[in-house]
Amino acid sequence: MNYRMIGYLLGLILLIEAALMMLPLSTALIFGENVMPFIITVLIILAVALPFALFKPKNSQIYTKEGFVTVAAGWILLSAFGALPFVISGTIPNYINAFFETVSGFTTTGATILSNIEALPKGLLFWRSFTHWIGGMGVLVFVLAILPSSGGQAMYLMRAEVPGPTKGKLVPKMRQTALILYGIYFVLTIFQVLALLICSFPLYDALVTTFATAGTGGFSVLNASIAGYNNPAAEWVIAVFMLLFGLNFNLYFLLLIRKVKDVFKSEELRAYIIICAASTVAIAINTAHMFNGLEECLRISFFQVSSIMTTTGFVTSNFGLWPVFSKSIIIILMIVGACAGSTAGGLKVSRILILLKNIAKEFKRIVRPRSVNVVRLDGEVLSPETVHIATGYLTVYITIIIITVLCVSLDGFSFETNFTATLSCINNVGPILGDIGPTGNMYDFSYPSKIILSLNMLIGRLEIMPMIVLFSPSTWRKR
Amino acid sequence: MNIVIVGAGVVGAAICAQLALENHNITLVDTNYSALTDISNRCDVFGVIGNGADLSTLKKASVDKADLLIAVTSSDEINILCCAAAKKLGVKSTIARVRNPEYSELMSFMRSELNLSMTINPELAVAKEIYRMLRFPSATKTDTFCRGRVDVAQFTVSKDSSICGSTLNELRSKLNIRFLVCATLRDGEALIPTGHFTIEAGDVLCVTAPEDEITKFFKAIGVYKHPVKNILISGGGRTTYYLEALLKKGKIKSTVIEKNEKICRELAEDFDCTVICNDSADQNVLLEEGLANADAFLALSNEDEENAIVSMYAKTKTEGRIITMIKSISYVDLFRGVGLDSIVSPKTSTATYIMRYVRSMANVRSSEIESLQKLMDDRVEALEFLIKQNIPELTNIPLKELKLRRGVLIACIVHNDKVIIPSGNDVISRGDTVIIITTEAQIKEIGEILK
Repeated sequence: MNYRMIGYLLGLILLIEAALMMLPLSTALIFGENVMPFIITVLIILAVALPFALFKPKNSQIYTKEGFVTVAAGWILLSAFGALPFVISGTIPNYINAFFETVSGFTTTGATILSNIEALPKGLLFWRSFTHWIGGMGVLVFVLAILPSSGGQAMYLMRAEVPGPTKGKLVPKMRQTALILYGIYFVLTIFQVLALLICSFPLYDALVTTFATAGTGGFSVLNASIAGYNNPAAEWVIAVFMLLFGLNFNLYFLLLIRKVKDVFKSEELRAYIIICAASTVAIAINTAHMFNGLEECLRISFFQVSSIMTTTGFVTSNFGLWPVFSKSIIIILMIVGACAGSTAGGLKVSRILILLKNIAKEFKRIVRPRSVNVVRLDGEVLSPETVHIATGYLTVYITIIIITVLCVSLDGFSFETNFTATLSCINNVGPILGDIGPTGNMYDFSYPSKIILSLNMLIGRLEIMPMIVLFSPSTWRKR
Repeated sequence: MNIVIVGAGVVGAAICAQLALENHNITLVDTNYSALTDISNRCDVFGVIGNGADLSTLKKASVDKADLLIAVTSSDEINILCCAAAKKLGVKSTIARVRNPEYSELMSFMRSELNLSMTINPELAVAKEIYRMLRFPSATKTDTFCRGRVDVAQFTVSKDSSICGSTLNELRSKLNIRFLVCATLRDGEALIPTGHFTIEAGDVLCVTAPEDEITKFFKAIGVYKHPVKNILISGGGRTTYYLEALLKKGKIKSTVIEKNEKICRELAEDFDCTVICNDSADQNVLLEEGLANADAFLALSNEDEENAIVSMYAKTKTEGRIITMIKSISYVDLFRGVGLDSIVSPKTSTATYIMRYVRSMANVRSSEIESLQKLMDDRVEALEFLIKQNIPELTNIPLKELKLRRGVLIACIVHNDKVIIPSGNDVISRGDTVIIITTEAQIKEIGEILK
């Protein structure tokens, strides 16, 4: 293990966090609020991070293990320090609550422990939503984009952070790939802000709502989430943008280089649209009696499907009160998630496609044991290794869910609550069903449960492996 | 530059690693998924799975937008086909590894008809390197600059050498020969030495001097060995075949020991060397064929392990030069550790050749690099510049007044066709060719050697 290089990279990540905190700090200044929480946090970060980040170690070689450890530890540190402004300002006095809130922000989950969100100062709320935007595309991808070419090690970091079963580059250079990804992210963000401004959102609300949409996070600055704006046009806009941010960003790149044909060849895209449309129609029919008129019914079903499937977690209707069939669809959508290579969580549509195709392949093999079959995605043959990793991923995913449900059930809530809370956290969705409901908050969970759920969010965002590597004893054993 | 490399073998990997460090956009094509992921995890390259001679694969690798395609798969035919196809798709230059001697006669045809910019034959490249080493037996490695006018020789200082403990300045005033120690290697670290550098046993020195003076230098410091007259070669593969052709030109006698009768016959038919059909790993055979008296012993069989062991044995029996060919690059450091200091490898030679070409190509736009050579296991670079115009901070100023960057040395100036090993009072003027030795791999323009 190259501890010095890990320390250096972690130092860099924290410095970037300090730099990013300038934005909420200036927001607080603009609204004439107390900026001390941010200033004190930045000073603490500088004191901790500078000694590590100033000296680049001579031996900068890192491997897979170091990459995973850096990413996992980096995200934990980001959240640990990102929670400080809430604690220092006294808005969330308990550190574990603040940590849960910040992890929920960075992992773009959007589950909150706050009961009265509107009571928080605007600067802190800005930071809370901004963590979604940072976490959406990933911090290390950002480090890669701004650092001068860091050689081969970059791949180890990117692999650990970008979601999806296959990690491809767009262009030969790592750094350019990272720049392109952030470029697309940035442009889409601006588009949404403009669209929301047109829907007569105030600039501040347009910004924080867009941050939460772009990262597919789901923090809102209103207690009633998006429903609180009472703005049907904006709901359509947000629903569409959630879907757009749930798309694989590689598709935008293909559009940019005018390979439109390849975009429509993407099976994942087709499946994504079909799942979304089918769920919307099913829920609309199932809940038709609850709403006034077709537009409202379609809008709310579409918004909720888009919000849950992209694992954003905005709420326009208390779907805890919906019929069981609709609730079941919502739970399934939580697990499915959006496309690989997007900012969303969940299992990812492409991984599910691979798994289903693999099952079909295995069936064929049972019927004709000597037949040779391959799994294809977008017309390309997938290597057995990719399929293997996807099945392994599913196994670990289910195991973690079972363990978490078991641990959280000690708190005494109903099974539905525990199960959806776990799914919501590991898939980075946000809202939960059961006793608490989508409009409620997770304040009532015990502290151990909150820590376990925080870890679940990190596990879900980083797609399991980095966290497991960080916490497995063999990583730290000297060889 | 946008570079497409076809073939993720040892050579492909070596070129990839180097080129990625030099900030090129590299796309690597191979049919082997695991070889590809292995390299793309280590280097910043873009992997494309597929056959390099397949048009759709080449398109996927955006060959049409590439400046250079390097085909280094294990198959000559795929390499040639791939280059021809890529050329049709619009790549600017192509390099192919072609190792079959029967094809090498078609080189000029392929260059003109298939538009190949360069073909490399690994065995030929290594044979040339061995031949150069034989001509300068005192050095472990030699190279030439300025089309052969300046030699760079590399040798290890032995424990009982008379020069141990003296500084370079002392040595220069004592010997009165035009020479320059341009780089040293001590404990694996390369250094551009100043005059105060004290030579210690075990140091590897890199010495520049005009061709006739280098012999004088070796004589003066007492490590002179006579040029080889008779050579014992174990193994009769392709490298031996190419080497024999060179030896024939240089009128050097050789004895080849080879097990395979057919190969023996071929060698005997084509060259007038002594060919012994016997097991070259057999000690008695080696001794019988005059190992003890040979000026040089070359282990060139196809088995790395056999080459290494035979060379180690030969080291105990002869005072002559021992050159070992090791094909697997991962073995090289291993065997160097046990005292085999003259190791050649077809793959390293190929990679070096290609890198030289790519650099000269990459630098065409920005600078005036004429050639580039790597010394000291790639730790030090020797760059040849032609000074096309006056640069106020550099030309016509005595060298001692120049503010050079650290790790940079002006090793040699060719002025009006005369080789000057420079002292502090010499100047660089327009039209000169200058050789710069540097430990910094990134220098592209002559101006960059200044602070």
